[in-house]
Amino acid sequence: MAEHQLPERQSPLEPEYHPGSHGNFEHGVDVILSETRPGSILQLAAWAGEEKRLIEVVRKVTGLALPDGAGGGVGNGARAAFGFAPGKFTVVDEAEGLAQAFAGAITPAIGTLTDLSHGRTAIRIAGPKAEWVMAKFFAIDFALPAFPLGAGRSTNHHDIFAQIQRSGADQFDIYVFRSFARSFWKALCHASEEVGYEVQ
Amino acid sequence: MLITCPYCGPRDVIEFTYQGDGNRERPQPASQNLDAWNAYVYDRLNPAGDHNEIWQHSGGCRAHLRVVRNTLTHEVLSTAFARGGHKTESRS
Amino acid sequence: MSPRRTETGGRIDRLRTIRFTFDGAPYTGHAGDTLASALLANGVTLFGRSFKYHRPRGLLAAGVEEPNALVTVLRGEVREPNIAATMVEIYDGLVAVSQNRAPSLAWDIGALNQLGGKVLSAGFYYKTFMGPVIGPLKGTRFWMFCEHFIRRAAGLGKAGTAPDPARYERMNAFCDVLVVGSGPAGLMAAKAAADQGARVILADLEAHFGGSAHWSGETIDGVPAADWAQRTVGQLEGNDNVRLLPRTTVWGYYDGNTLAALERVTDHKETPAKGEPRQRYWAIRAGTVVLATGSFERPLIFPGNDRPGVMLAHAAERYAVEYGVLPGQRIALFTNNDSAYRSAVALKKAGAAVVAIVDVRGDVSNEMRRLASEAEAELLAGHAVVATEGGRALTGLKVQRFDATNGALSGDDRSIHADSLLMSGGWSPTIHLASQAGARAEWDPARQAFLPPRPTQRWIGAGAFTGSFSTAEAIAEGRAAGLQAAGGSASSAPLPIVEATPGDPDPAPVFEIKAKGKSFVDFQHDVTAEDVRLAHREGFVSVEHLKRYTTLGMATDQGKNSNVPGLAIMAEALGKPIPEVGTTRFRPPYTAVSIGSLAAERFGDLKPERLTPMHDWHIANGATMYSAGLWYRPMIYGLAGETVEQAYVREARATRESAGIVDVSTLGKIAVQGPDAAEFLDRVYTNMFSTLAVGKARYGLMLREDGLAFDDGTTWRLGEQDFLMTTTTANAGKVMQNLEYFLDVIWPELKVTVTSVTDEWAGAAIGGPKARAILFSCVTGTAVDNATLPFMGIVHGRIAGVPVMICRLSFSGEMAFEVYSGAGYGTRVWEALIEAGKPFGLVTYGLEALGTMRIEKGHVTGAEIDGRTTARDLHLDWMLSKKKPFIGSAMMDREGLISPDRLQLVGLISLDNRPFNGGAHIVEELDEANPHDSIGHITACCYSPALSKYIALALVKDGKARHGTRAFVSDPLRNRFGPIEIVSNHFYDPDGSRMHG
Repeated sequence: MAEHQLPERQSPLEPEYHPGSHGNFEHGVDVILSETRPGSILQLAAWAGEEKRLIEVVRKVTGLALPDGAGGGVGNGARAAFGFAPGKFTVVDEAEGLAQAFAGAITPAIGTLTDLSHGRTAIRIAGPKAEWVMAKFFAIDFALPAFPLGAGRSTNHHDIFAQIQRSGADQFDIYVFRSFARSFWKALCHASEEVGYEVQ
Repeated sequence: MLITCPYCGPRDVIEFTYQGDGNRERPQPASQNLDAWNAYVYDRLNPAGDHNEIWQHSGGCRAHLRVVRNTLTHEVLSTAFARGGHKTESRS
Repeated sequence: MSPRRTETGGRIDRLRTIRFTFDGAPYTGHAGDTLASALLANGVTLFGRSFKYHRPRGLLAAGVEEPNALVTVLRGEVREPNIAATMVEIYDGLVAVSQNRAPSLAWDIGALNQLGGKVLSAGFYYKTFMGPVIGPLKGTRFWMFCEHFIRRAAGLGKAGTAPDPARYERMNAFCDVLVVGSGPAGLMAAKAAADQGARVILADLEAHFGGSAHWSGETIDGVPAADWAQRTVGQLEGNDNVRLLPRTTVWGYYDGNTLAALERVTDHKETPAKGEPRQRYWAIRAGTVVLATGSFERPLIFPGNDRPGVMLAHAAERYAVEYGVLPGQRIALFTNNDSAYRSAVALKKAGAAVVAIVDVRGDVSNEMRRLASEAEAELLAGHAVVATEGGRALTGLKVQRFDATNGALSGDDRSIHADSLLMSGGWSPTIHLASQAGARAEWDPARQAFLPPRPTQRWIGAGAFTGSFSTAEAIAEGRAAGLQAAGGSASSAPLPIVEATPGDPDPAPVFEIKAKGKSFVDFQHDVTAEDVRLAHREGFVSVEHLKRYTTLGMATDQGKNSNVPGLAIMAEALGKPIPEVGTTRFRPPYTAVSIGSLAAERFGDLKPERLTPMHDWHIANGATMYSAGLWYRPMIYGLAGETVEQAYVREARATRESAGIVDVSTLGKIAVQGPDAAEFLDRVYTNMFSTLAVGKARYGLMLREDGLAFDDGTTWRLGEQDFLMTTTTANAGKVMQNLEYFLDVIWPELKVTVTSVTDEWAGAAIGGPKARAILFSCVTGTAVDNATLPFMGIVHGRIAGVPVMICRLSFSGEMAFEVYSGAGYGTRVWEALIEAGKPFGLVTYGLEALGTMRIEKGHVTGAEIDGRTTARDLHLDWMLSKKKPFIGSAMMDREGLISPDRLQLVGLISLDNRPFNGGAHIVEELDEANPHDSIGHITACCYSPALSKYIALALVKDGKARHGTRAFVSDPLRNRFGPIEIVSNHFYDPDGSRMHG
């Protein structure tokens, strides 16, 4: 395969992505926004009863030990995985080519693999006011006890579907449909103005 | 109104889409019994009280749920995956 | 020094002076003042003109229930009307104006309405403007004549027309315990719950937590109640589990313990900080709610009770103690209960002369008599106020002997000189939220009040809300409620000790003093006691009808003052006890809520837009964009000076002559994967997909369960168990939901995953005689000749170094290919195709040309698959497999769906060479003046460059049999009538030789 020779992908956020500090930041920025641009975003789905086998495949291929249970998730910086629906998982890798690594491992007896590396845009929000800003968009409880580290959630902001993984005590990775990404990004920046934000 | 998704937990009703009366039974695909098809496609129960309904958690995990809801109070009595499996009793 | 400001006392910061204007006149106040307290301190007594009669009105209350002192606040061009002056915190530069007056508040022409008072009594509109027209001055015609004048004369503030630049936001919050109200009960509840480790939100509509502690004059735990409150708030502030929401009105209690609240974030500030919203709409999901919303003091109903200077007793107490403002120098009180005595003492302490306490009760307790002498007030027990005097300010009142057992007045009246009359008609618990949450309130004959219903949701009441009007009870109930809400066990630890003025919480059951003159029940809607009785005499016996007929309680204050007195008067008229008359159920919102806060982030350009990967290229290259649902798509790529028609005709013609390219990324794309994927597709499509070879695509049609057409598109078999389904742009979501429904609910045994991959792929359709040559010049890694890439074939290759998937299929009718790449490479591939196409005359085309070419080909879209048409109607019956059942197969042959006179898809040609319009009807007879008997309608139309004619697709009764016949298009709304020819929908290249090449 010649994946490493592929040109850089275009970000849907480009014209609206302005690195630097914005909003009410005179007293410091309380959230940091970034597009993480992972090389691979996969959806893995297990047939009913095959979830454990699929979790085992994820461990073998990525080294990530997915906890069993609704919305369970894990990450190690370069890679992350979380459940977002019954029997369904999102697996993310900084590098491209994760689909090929899984291709033989997800057999028809276990489930399916769908490559969404282009179709989803990954946006990270971090900082002491991350929960505050997220609460403006999503009607789910972002408090740490209710939304533990590594866990995943599926929810929406009006018409925009989002999968959200907590990747730090005050950090969330949001996966949105690419076509909505710019609109969501603009709204996210707008909502972050109040607390002061930095785009990295 | 909150509906407790067996996967996602309690979520606001705006995340869900009503997918119809849960009492309907679809005839076998090859069935030519038009009365049965007619009942399935058009007949709906409209009880004042507990009602079996299908809801999709369309703004979340997208699973379809069997929901028992009281049409007089909006109280959701139980939810379960339409595919079967886990059931959540919500009545307090 | 302001004329009414006391020397000391109050919560205001006397060192900070705030400057503002009211009706253009400059005033000063202090930090901590409301507009009401600041104006009162400046000696302003006249705050507004009443709704119907334009009577002068002053402050009645000090809080959210204020019905009279409504003002409009101006910020630049933006005006917000109908805000209670009692809820406006002053800031430097505040501009407020009074309402419903012309030309000025003091001299108001509309006050002439008072002279015609009889005319405007209850039911005036119904009686005058309903019913048959008898003569010129009756009925709806008369209404239309009068409406303009009446609407100008009656009413509240005027809404502005300037766009509101303020920011509004929505916030979601979760907590174990939501405490509404921060008086002693609420503070205790919040503290107790927080100490248990619960997540607590404490919300209060006022700017400062503490409620009555700020003005009760009581002590708690040995310190002034205000200090105790401040200390408790300090403790709550230090707790990470507690969120404090001042200036936050909880206005709605919905199912599932979901509550709506409005936080006024910056309304009290001169300028908001960057990004700070003006208001925030909180959606709060609470485990348990503690309702500590207190109570409202009720007015007494007597003639002249609306004159400026007549005020609720506790409000005066509050102005004096909390804001250091006296409502008058010579104060009289009129009461049916003990609480006014404390007010009298407080006002005396603050420096006013209390000239009299008029008590309807003949029997006043010794304790109250002691308080009256402490206030140095003359006590007139067994008396009632029968009139007030003065114009824009009170100058005096008249009292008479009164028998509380039968309401009889006796003896001569006596005049008392006073500039302020304070009244107390007892207290009504603020049960609005509990009422919204469910059950009906219950009347308590001792308290003479509706007490909260039994909870139907998870809430616990505490304090005055429950009818426990003393602070000691509030503190005990607050703690108990907080503990219970947090799941803690009851505490036997000692409670804070309260030192308070004693008093009996039960008032005398006296609501109205019947004497000559207008006695107001609903101050804001100008409803008098006589209006209520009139409604009764005219047969309105239900409380709901009473409300609608008189508009009692229907103003912006929603009857916070008037509800119970109104019911009491109605009950008396009916000769029934109050509980039998019943009460109306309170509905959200508790107070007025700005529309901006409800729209929040869904405003202006912040509604979501769906953009294709090539969006920026389209904009940069002159596309006029068109919104299709949430998507934005190029409509045309117009050249300078071109009309839309000229542009699409050029684009379509060039495509048919050489080649054209269009962005089709918006097509719905669904990955259908798994061992049972082919079987599943056989069930959802009318035609077979299990027989489709890997590497091939097939056009498919879906029906609904009722047998009508649902959606169409091509599905590509990428692997044995791997299909890529495409849907129409508009139906992508519905198709996805339908597939999920069948997999979850009907056929859970099928092993199939469906995933939306619409956004994974960028799609470009390139078509025309030169399309293959263009691909040949830029595609690597695969051949694109007829053998390698036949019609409906799929190949994988590369363009500009990135992987692409190419399927040969055609919507335009030309030899055409859909080129899919990863969305992140969409623009790169698109640009490479444009570059490769340059030598071949490739044009970009938009939706208009796309539509034109599909009309020429007679392809159907959502305009024809409109939820009423069948496959047969659209001549797609060749796609209905007879070898298998599919969704809709059992129902599609029902009598009505196969009837010969159904509307069928046809083509139309304009014979007068004039354009068509969508929706125009087809008629058989040449009768332009009276077109009749429509035989169908146009679904889509265009100018066809291929035919050089105006053409249309239409659904026409028994259309196929009419091919070659003539009829007329009739579109009277657009003044279009003309001859047409009905033809086949396949206008262009009917045998498909161009696309099959």
